[in-house]
Amino acid sequence: MSDMTANETLAPPAPGYWATAGRKLVRDRAAMISLAVLVVIALLCAAAPWYARHVSHTNPFQSNLSGTVVRHGRTMEVLGAADNPLHLGIEPIGPSWRLGPYMLGADQQGRDVAARMLYGGRNSLLISFASAAVCLVLAALTGILAGFFGGWVDRGISFLLDALWAFPVFLLAISLSVVLIAHGIDFGLFRLDASSLSLPITIIGVIYVPYVARPVRGLVIGLRQSEYVMAAIGIGAPAWRILWYDILPNVISALVVFAPLIVALDLLTEAALSFLSIGVQPPAASWGTIIHDGESLIYTRPVVAIAPGLAIVITVLALNILGDGLRDALDPRAKLRN
Amino acid sequence: MRWIAALLVAVALCGTAQAATGDDRYGGTLRLITTAGSGSFDPQINYTERYWEIFQAMYDGLVTFAKTGGKQSLTIVPDLATEVPKPTDGGLTYVFHLRRGIKFSNGQDLTVQAVVHSFRRLFKVNNPNAGTWYDVIVGGRTCNAHPEHCTLPGVVADAASNTITIHLRHPDSEFLDQLAVPFGAILPADTPDHDMGTTPVPGTGAYMVKSFNPSGGIVMVRNPYFHQWSRLAQPRGYPDQIDYSFGLSPEAQVTAVENDQYDWMFEDVPADRLNEIATKFTRQVHIHPVNWFYYAPMNVNIPPFNNKDARLAVEYAVNRESMVKLFGGNALAKPDCQILPPEMPGYQAYCPYTKDPGAKWSAPDWTLAHEYMKKSGMIGQHVTVITEVQAPFRQIGIYLQDVLNRLGFVANVKPISSNIEFNYIQNTNNKVQISITDWDQDYPAASDFLDVLFSCHSFRKGSDNSINISGFCDPAIDDEMAKAETLSLLHPKAANAIWAHVDHQITRRAVVVSLFSVAKLDFTSSSLKNFTFSGEYMFLPQLAVVK
Amino acid sequence: MLGTIFRRLVHMVAVLFGISVLVFLIFFATPGANPAARIAGKNASPQTIARVEQQFGLNRPLPVQYGLMMKKIFITRNLTSYVNLGEKVVPQVFRAAPVTLSLVGGAAVIWILFAVVIGAAAAAFRNTWIDRLLMVLSLIGISMPVFWVGTMANLFTQGIWHHTLLFSWVPPLGYIDFSKSPFGWFKALIIPWITLAILYIGLYARVLRAALIETMQEDFIRTARAKGLTERQVLLRHALRCSLVSVVTLFGLDFGVLVGGGALLTEVVFGLQGVGYLTYQALETLDLPMIMATVIYASVFVVVSNAVVDILYAAFDPRMRLRR
Repeated sequence: MSDMTANETLAPPAPGYWATAGRKLVRDRAAMISLAVLVVIALLCAAAPWYARHVSHTNPFQSNLSGTVVRHGRTMEVLGAADNPLHLGIEPIGPSWRLGPYMLGADQQGRDVAARMLYGGRNSLLISFASAAVCLVLAALTGILAGFFGGWVDRGISFLLDALWAFPVFLLAISLSVVLIAHGIDFGLFRLDASSLSLPITIIGVIYVPYVARPVRGLVIGLRQSEYVMAAIGIGAPAWRILWYDILPNVISALVVFAPLIVALDLLTEAALSFLSIGVQPPAASWGTIIHDGESLIYTRPVVAIAPGLAIVITVLALNILGDGLRDALDPRAKLRN
Repeated sequence: MRWIAALLVAVALCGTAQAATGDDRYGGTLRLITTAGSGSFDPQINYTERYWEIFQAMYDGLVTFAKTGGKQSLTIVPDLATEVPKPTDGGLTYVFHLRRGIKFSNGQDLTVQAVVHSFRRLFKVNNPNAGTWYDVIVGGRTCNAHPEHCTLPGVVADAASNTITIHLRHPDSEFLDQLAVPFGAILPADTPDHDMGTTPVPGTGAYMVKSFNPSGGIVMVRNPYFHQWSRLAQPRGYPDQIDYSFGLSPEAQVTAVENDQYDWMFEDVPADRLNEIATKFTRQVHIHPVNWFYYAPMNVNIPPFNNKDARLAVEYAVNRESMVKLFGGNALAKPDCQILPPEMPGYQAYCPYTKDPGAKWSAPDWTLAHEYMKKSGMIGQHVTVITEVQAPFRQIGIYLQDVLNRLGFVANVKPISSNIEFNYIQNTNNKVQISITDWDQDYPAASDFLDVLFSCHSFRKGSDNSINISGFCDPAIDDEMAKAETLSLLHPKAANAIWAHVDHQITRRAVVVSLFSVAKLDFTSSSLKNFTFSGEYMFLPQLAVVK
Repeated sequence: MLGTIFRRLVHMVAVLFGISVLVFLIFFATPGANPAARIAGKNASPQTIARVEQQFGLNRPLPVQYGLMMKKIFITRNLTSYVNLGEKVVPQVFRAAPVTLSLVGGAAVIWILFAVVIGAAAAAFRNTWIDRLLMVLSLIGISMPVFWVGTMANLFTQGIWHHTLLFSWVPPLGYIDFSKSPFGWFKALIIPWITLAILYIGLYARVLRAALIETMQEDFIRTARAKGLTERQVLLRHALRCSLVSVVTLFGLDFGVLVGGGALLTEVVFGLQGVGYLTYQALETLDLPMIMATVIYASVFVVVSNAVVDILYAAFDPRMRLRR
């Protein structure tokens, strides 16, 4: 006696949601190229210690103001006097454009820019991804609560968001940087050290919460009016069920669109905040601190400012194209219709 | 023959025309640019180089530093007084004869009353140095305690003979210098006794303020009541108008001066533009040495630098030539081991902290440095270097951190906002171990460096104003400095010898790490001629020719 | 209606109060921020400093100082700066406001125009090379730090290529008053406008495109198509209207912040002395009165623009009207 019923012999079982999404993604060529680029960038940054030791032969965290390097058979100073009638000014050595010491030249402390770029990538990527995560989670939370429950909850949360958006972050940053100068703060449970990365991650994560929370709130308000939510309320479904099954997936879809944009903004904010010495401390590097160093070398060695800027552009591009691909693959509309 | 007559007449007319207009360098508008204004425009309060540079053309004291270039610019010449008096009574009394016929820019006459009032006003408006310089005047200390009732009996006016007599509590070789700086400006007798803030005060100088906008800039025009009484004390000035604009960053200023949109910029030229201006605008670059040095005070009262060996290790390890590179190269800075800068009276070259100790610094001595480090037992200690955000302080701080790490400390560097750094590092409550700062002269006297920076009374616990940043205090050295000060009035050579000795002693105690002494670089436009640099006031705008 | 307005006003006052208290506390909690020593001058004696403290009321308890400062800002309006002694801060802020308004207003016109065109074109030609190219360009715009773009712009327009035909018309850095020379005003602002707009064009084009694509899948769009409207009519008349909601939200937030002084790095790089520039200077010099004035000014704009955005929500998306 066979177990198979007539229905089961008719069609093979449909593939799951994630399998479908995965397959769609793999077929998206642009997204795959971007993924590859991101992986390469991550690998390069991971290889930073190897590069510093075997290719550039320098310690990228030690000043090298009086060092020399051999180029084209000649021994040149890493920081040499500029060539002008008054012997005014000092110029760091320029890029050699080939694999070896000072491929991208030196900065004003005589350190190898290419090696610092790789180490810097580690910190920049970590800070921007972590703070983006913080931002999106908090924005989803506040936006959903405000949009779904309305009334006093909405008013309270909107008040906080307004205050946060209007708040002068730079003042807080300056003040914090002075307070934390030598000692860090003790929060009982954990210690906030001056060089801890959790500080820039938290600050950058929190300041963009209103930017994302408001559209999420608007979205949730709209969703609350939609037929299927009304229906769910009508049949007496509890709030958490509606939130989890009906509201959250749509919010996630919106967040996926925002995510790469927020990572981009966070990368740039890190550059701006590093100007105020919050976050990555010298002699450690991040793409932001290298841009800051490069700003005072813009007329003599523009590559020091251009290289990290380019790195940010490429990373952001890749993230966004990948993000688009993800969004297309995960399109919840398709899920609902199926 | 008529044409000869005509020719002669023409020549004669030309001659008289020339005599009538005189030197045709007079006229035009001088355009100056800086980032922003700097505080109150009251000459008895403002203590910034930015405004001192223009106050000297708008105000006069009883005496002043000669407004010219070269070594003569450091000599004191009579200004509102007819001559520089020699003190009598063993240095306790000065008698000044006031010139007649001088008017303020509001038409008022200069009288002895105005002089008396100006001296009293120093105390009433809380002049920063009322408690350190001007309290040498008899009655000054009472005025400091009760400024509202200040009568200052030490300043006596005699309208009949048009003289002012000043009595001091003790001889002071720097009294005339202190009258020659803009704090000593004589203001109208009816000037209110409070900080005038953004309201310009009339002066006797060659120029007066036409308009003042704290965020836009200052416009100065010729003082209509001015006539030149002394070319050296207050020259007539070539430009008819001086526009001092605010609002551009230093990078933008350089570009603007290159494009002949401004004639001179106040801020230092950023390091990355130096090669550019030296190559393309060589003749518009002016470099002059000044009494100004950069140094790193070490706190001798808290670990790790309360240990002398640790301090010596740092002194021997620092590569001062690298520091010079960070400032812009050897044309702008010279490595320094001692306190007094080279142009200062009493300077005798001395450098113990180098490979071949002697007069000059040559190279760091890492062997010796490591030895001292081991002896000190401070290896592994945490140190924080405090520095300013702006160039070159930040980079110097990063390099110093590197040196400390190589020595065996665990160092980090903290650049903080330039505006608070200077007071922050002075306050002992902040427990600053080592910091980077600079110091330039008020006037050319060794005490301005040694006494002000290292005497016991310059060290105040828990105060934002404790300019003896290291917290160094040695009564024996204080006594020696007092001796030098008493001697300097009548026996300057002997005094200078003592100052040199004090300089060398303090250097040997390794209280601070001297880094380098600097030269001032001025970048001017192609329209500006006759650039004149005074050792006291630096660029003299009124002597620039822009016609 | 009146109820809503009243509630909004209370909301605004609450925000202003909260922020001003926070700023005040942060300032005084920062070691080295006490202005007495800086006002008194280099190397002043303790007596001088004590007198300055008394003069400025710095030795009174914090709540009293806060109250006095608020009174001086709002009622007597004679709050003076700690750095430019004697200068009233509130009139200074109002003098700087037109500069910021000119910068942000002009940039806003440019970025809205370009963003709508680029976003709509990208959505209309979705998934073709036009779409890809436009989105890549938008992304490049987003990824460049504004102060870096400004520095590069100055490097070329004021420095390297200033003498060529291309850029010789660019005036020296700084703001030219419209009343003095309208043409000069325009010439001085065109490069800053483009610099500031680049970031926002990229951002808004992408958001608009995404919103358009979402909307195009709605049922009512299908109805419109079924009715026989052309694709372009569908896009422009129906979809665009609904998608503008998200753009309007962002615009409200961004414009509010920028007019309040958020474009400070742009203003500093181009030497435009607007409110952002004043804020930056105040932070650099730790001038509490000016910080307070600029922060309150900025907060007012943010809260007002949020309120306006909420009202526009209802106007654009009829579904919103049901709720409120």
